[in-house]
Amino acid sequence: MNKPTDMNTEKIKHLLNRSITQLDQPVLAKLRHARDQAVARHVSRRVSPALAWAGNFSWGHSPQKIHFWAAALLVIAFLLGTATYWNQEAAESDTSDVDIAILTDDLPMDVYID
Amino acid sequence: MNLRLLRFLALCFFLIYHPPLLAASKPWSKLTPLQQEALAQLASEWDSIPEEQQQPFLRLAKRYPKLTDVQKQRMHDRLKKWSKLTPEQRKQARDKFRSFSKVPPKQREQVKKMVLEDEVDEATPMDASGVPADSPTR
Repeated sequence: MNKPTDMNTEKIKHLLNRSITQLDQPVLAKLRHARDQAVARHVSRRVSPALAWAGNFSWGHSPQKIHFWAAALLVIAFLLGTATYWNQEAAESDTSDVDIAILTDDLPMDVYID
Repeated sequence: MNLRLLRFLALCFFLIYHPPLLAASKPWSKLTPLQQEALAQLASEWDSIPEEQQQPFLRLAKRYPKLTDVQKQRMHDRLKKWSKLTPEQRKQARDKFRSFSKVPPKQREQVKKMVLEDEVDEATPMDASGVPADSPTR
């Protein structure tokens, strides 16, 4: 026995074109069920078009996706943190170079101090 | 996604943003002999210097082995005074040094010569007429 979703469009049209009175209860139930499913799919597509870019991302449905996005955010934060750290290191290294140059320069240190 | 990898990344992130956890306190007795030699002028006060202010001096000590003997001596002579400057004074000194470094080498040498001559003049005792005491014209 076919599931309601397995019915193709032509078959559904054909069934609908016949008099409803000629249909028996199981067929009517299948049609109603198929219609409900189609409407539900249509509504869910209309509700979240803005999230289409995220591959219909859904927090509630897939814990793996949550892990994926959490890891992605963490990696981005990690890279930003590392870049900040190295920039700071470079700046401190430059400062130390100048400090040692002042401390060892031919000119007295007082020349550079107010 | 591997949960273990996620935890590892979170730990790395935490450590990067909490460098004080990694920066160990450095009492004078724990410095290497080379660091102690470089920072000898600060020995008496080292342990009272806040940890974050020790770091710039430790970076100076790292560069110490590459200095010539004359430069090492200058560093020893100046380090104490340098340590007494405020952060703002040090910043101004660095800015002046950087500005002076941009002056063309020829002019820079002239300025250096003038300053050093002035320094010699100031160091030489004068008699009442303003003539240096050891001047050959006397």
